[in-house]
Amino acid sequence: MIFGITSFLLIVALNLRLTFGRYLRRLPEEKRKINSENFKGYIHWIVSWKKSFLKLERWDRCLDYLIAWGQKNYPGWTVWVFYALVLSYIYLALSGFIFAWFVPRGLYGFPLLLHVAAGALFAICLTIILFIKARVYLPEKVEEEASKESDYGFYCPLLHKSFPRLYLQAVAFWVFVLAGFLLVASTLGSMLPYFNFPAQIFFFHLHRWSALASVLAACLAIDVMIVE
Amino acid sequence: MESLTENKKDRRKISWQMVGLAAGLLLSITIFIFVTLTISRLLEARSSKKPVPKAPEIKLQETEKTGWSGSQISPVHRIPLMDEFNQKIIPAASDSLPFSARNTCGPCHNYDQISQGTHFNFRLRPETDRPTEPWVLVDDKVGTQLPVSYQNYPGLWSPEKLGLSAWQFVNLFGRNLNGGGPGEPAEKEITPDSRWNVSGKLEINCLGCHNKSPLQDHSEWVKQVMRQNFRWAATAASGLGEVVGMASRLPSTWSVVDGPNPDDHEWAVAPQVKYNQSFFDSKNNAVLDLAHQPEDSRCLACHSVTPRKVQTKAAVERDVHSMAGLKCTDCHRNDLTHEMIRGFEGQKVSSSNLKAEDFTCAGCHLGQKPEKGGIGFAGLLGAPRPAHKGIPKIHFERLSCTTCHSGPLPEKEPQEVYTSRANRLGVFGKAHWTSEYPVILEPVFVREKDEKIYPERMMWPAFWAEKKGKDLVPVESQEILKTAPEVFQLKENVASLLNSLLPLAEEGFYPAVVISEYLFEPNADGGLDFRSLEKSPLVGKAGQGKFRLVQVRKDEVKPLLPAFNPEEAPAELEDKILRALQALKSQAGVKEPALEAGKFIYKITEGYLDKAEKGGEPAAEPEIGWLEEENLRPLLSDFQVRTLEKLNAGQEILTEEQVALVLEKLSRANPQKEFAYVAAGRVFSLGKDGKLKVSEHPAAKPISWPLAHNVRPAQQALGKNGCTDCHSPDSRVFFGKVEASSPLKTSWKEAKLQADWMKTGTLFQFLFGFTFLVRPAFKLLLAACLLLMGLILLVVVVRITGKISGIKDNGQKPESRR
Repeated sequence: MIFGITSFLLIVALNLRLTFGRYLRRLPEEKRKINSENFKGYIHWIVSWKKSFLKLERWDRCLDYLIAWGQKNYPGWTVWVFYALVLSYIYLALSGFIFAWFVPRGLYGFPLLLHVAAGALFAICLTIILFIKARVYLPEKVEEEASKESDYGFYCPLLHKSFPRLYLQAVAFWVFVLAGFLLVASTLGSMLPYFNFPAQIFFFHLHRWSALASVLAACLAIDVMIVE
Repeated sequence: MESLTENKKDRRKISWQMVGLAAGLLLSITIFIFVTLTISRLLEARSSKKPVPKAPEIKLQETEKTGWSGSQISPVHRIPLMDEFNQKIIPAASDSLPFSARNTCGPCHNYDQISQGTHFNFRLRPETDRPTEPWVLVDDKVGTQLPVSYQNYPGLWSPEKLGLSAWQFVNLFGRNLNGGGPGEPAEKEITPDSRWNVSGKLEINCLGCHNKSPLQDHSEWVKQVMRQNFRWAATAASGLGEVVGMASRLPSTWSVVDGPNPDDHEWAVAPQVKYNQSFFDSKNNAVLDLAHQPEDSRCLACHSVTPRKVQTKAAVERDVHSMAGLKCTDCHRNDLTHEMIRGFEGQKVSSSNLKAEDFTCAGCHLGQKPEKGGIGFAGLLGAPRPAHKGIPKIHFERLSCTTCHSGPLPEKEPQEVYTSRANRLGVFGKAHWTSEYPVILEPVFVREKDEKIYPERMMWPAFWAEKKGKDLVPVESQEILKTAPEVFQLKENVASLLNSLLPLAEEGFYPAVVISEYLFEPNADGGLDFRSLEKSPLVGKAGQGKFRLVQVRKDEVKPLLPAFNPEEAPAELEDKILRALQALKSQAGVKEPALEAGKFIYKITEGYLDKAEKGGEPAAEPEIGWLEEENLRPLLSDFQVRTLEKLNAGQEILTEEQVALVLEKLSRANPQKEFAYVAAGRVFSLGKDGKLKVSEHPAAKPISWPLAHNVRPAQQALGKNGCTDCHSPDSRVFFGKVEASSPLKTSWKEAKLQADWMKTGTLFQFLFGFTFLVRPAFKLLLAACLLLMGLILLVVVVRITGKISGIKDNGQKPESRR
């Protein structure tokens, strides 16, 4: 119950915050403030989004964009790893959270079977992506690259300050990786015959909360990494 | 006239005198009313007994009476035995009555409170009580096995629904009743068919559980109950006295005060008790060896379960708790209320002072939960705390402890078991008491209402029913038997025919019949026993529908009628033929028995053996049978041979043909009614074409109840060898075949997989089981991924730590630092 409510609120809150930030960035710098007028404008903006997302064409464009983004950032065969990661992750997140929110029994049956299979694919892909991309998001590299950026790109309305997107990209990346690591560890741990019942409970909760962290990181990554 | 009017006017004039008179009158009336009211109030107060002046109330504080002195030891019970009239029993007296538990035990132990205990209050069980083994009404003549219970669960028939009075219930199931409950019916429950005044009430048999004496005899209890010696049963079973006589043979007008029947010392002998005086002291007090906690053997008299396949007592497995030295009552406790702790999760006790949850599996093995850190406390009785390493938590949410730990290890099919109450185990005597019916299977894994899976015992009801609307109402066995006796008494009829042929058998031999690969021989109960033959002349299609009469002595089998020359037949042989034919004639009625040998035929004419030449071909072998229009018909009818051939060695007692015949006869006898036979999870009825048709009905569904014992050691628990103990494509836990057992031999029997009863989905379980074949590789893969990710994350952490701590130079050249 606590997990369900917390995870739902956190995911919604983060996405609202990210989209609100995007909305503010569309405004002239002097108008980037937290006030009722901007909220109204934001709501109108979101509603217009909603309308456009009802059209299949929009989704098609999104998919094209994602494919193109993958091809741009993951050369050669690595793009397939990226696609596999995305697909497996979408299924994992959807099956995990839908069951956690709406099914008291939790994940079971065929969705569980697919969840486990997708989990294996995710673990492999994440490891490969980590292998390829870790060097890009090493702290010193990020610092070095961020100093070169002219447009910081990520505006914080509370601090009235923009941050380099690269910083947030690095945060999203490492949180996603760390959460993935914990997800895999808790899965493996619960399958090994070395851990007793309290440990099994611990693994269960670790898996859930890591999944939440992972989804939050993924949302952030979509905002700061993928969507221009 | 005027003067008169004036006089009247004068008289109307108000005078002081008149005023005084009126005032006096008014005062008198007021006083009268006042006095009357006062007196009536006083009288009313007196009559209503109202305490006029309220006295100060004095009341004792209520204390919980447990009847326990605080001592851990039990007292020696040197007590007077009291009879049902509350008179002290003098053991030496010739007219002593049996002891009454109500009057003997009751003065110290609250009998009325105890009578509300689990073993006695069948009719008042709390609704929260989970299903338990029902009583099974068995009639193996007509193929009835009907689960009867006071519990209100689907598939169980309440005695009220079946029209069973308390009297009938006790007569049917008293062998395993502890007395009390239906054994002591209230006045309004006494039905005209009952004979309580003859039998006496079946009081609670305290000694049945608490007597430590080795003379305590469950079989004696059963014997006495079967004889309707209800009031004598406890005395006889305890060994305190010897009881002779049978109340069942006494007239219904007999009463215990009438004493023995002086006119009959052989048949209608009134029950009498002869006390064993060595159990009494000089003051005629009985010295009883009683146990506070009953011995296990007392519980097992009614609660034991034995696999049918086990051939010897020595091969029976025992419960791990018993092996560890625990007694049944160490876990299944009760206080004076006798409300038993049954040990399952969620039991709600209504009157006991004990906490039911302390004595569940978790209550003993997990103990108290840790509070604010720590690991808590282990459970009761030194129960080891399980680690359950590697078992995902879903198992603890969806499975009862017993699923993995109790009952026999799952096999390809659940095994058949005998239970004490259903199959009459533990009753010893000259007769063979164990009954083959009902057939109960275990373990069948069933998902219950709480969504948990439990290993259960399962049986399918079988009964003849009348269709009333959508309902199937059981029809009494006697009615069915009356309608088609020859169909049900087929084995008895064959046995009787075979017994008639005894004169033809050699000395020491007895007649039997070979059908197919089996030898059918008459038994002492008037039925037929069978034995498998290693070699048989009637195997295969050629032998179908045929039989051969043989004679048997132990393992020696030879033809009943050896070939002989009828023209030179010895007189001794012809005498044997005559006696056999006479025996057959005596039970055949209108049919004429005859024996054919060569070109002669023997028959009885006016009481004498008549040998006549017959027409046609001479008989190759001597043959005995029935003469019909000069032709010899086989001794056994086609129907008899066909039925025995079909039933052969199986435990079933009816064929579909028999069922169809009975249904046809029932329909003919009651054309306005519709009948059916329920068995094997199906309903069999006659279609419009007169053929047997099969349908489904809730009343045909099996009933099941959770099993708890025997608990296997942890080393034998499911999952000990890993997940594949249960999760594999050929798992016996999920893909074990559960096939309905019934008295009817049919191919229509209900068959399901264990996964169906668990409602887990067979395809899913197959695929899920399949994943466990690749699971080791899956684990290795995850471990490899984890290792790689971990190393990279470690490098990153090291670099960040280095940067923060300044160990790493952050890419600055030494010169610039200077």
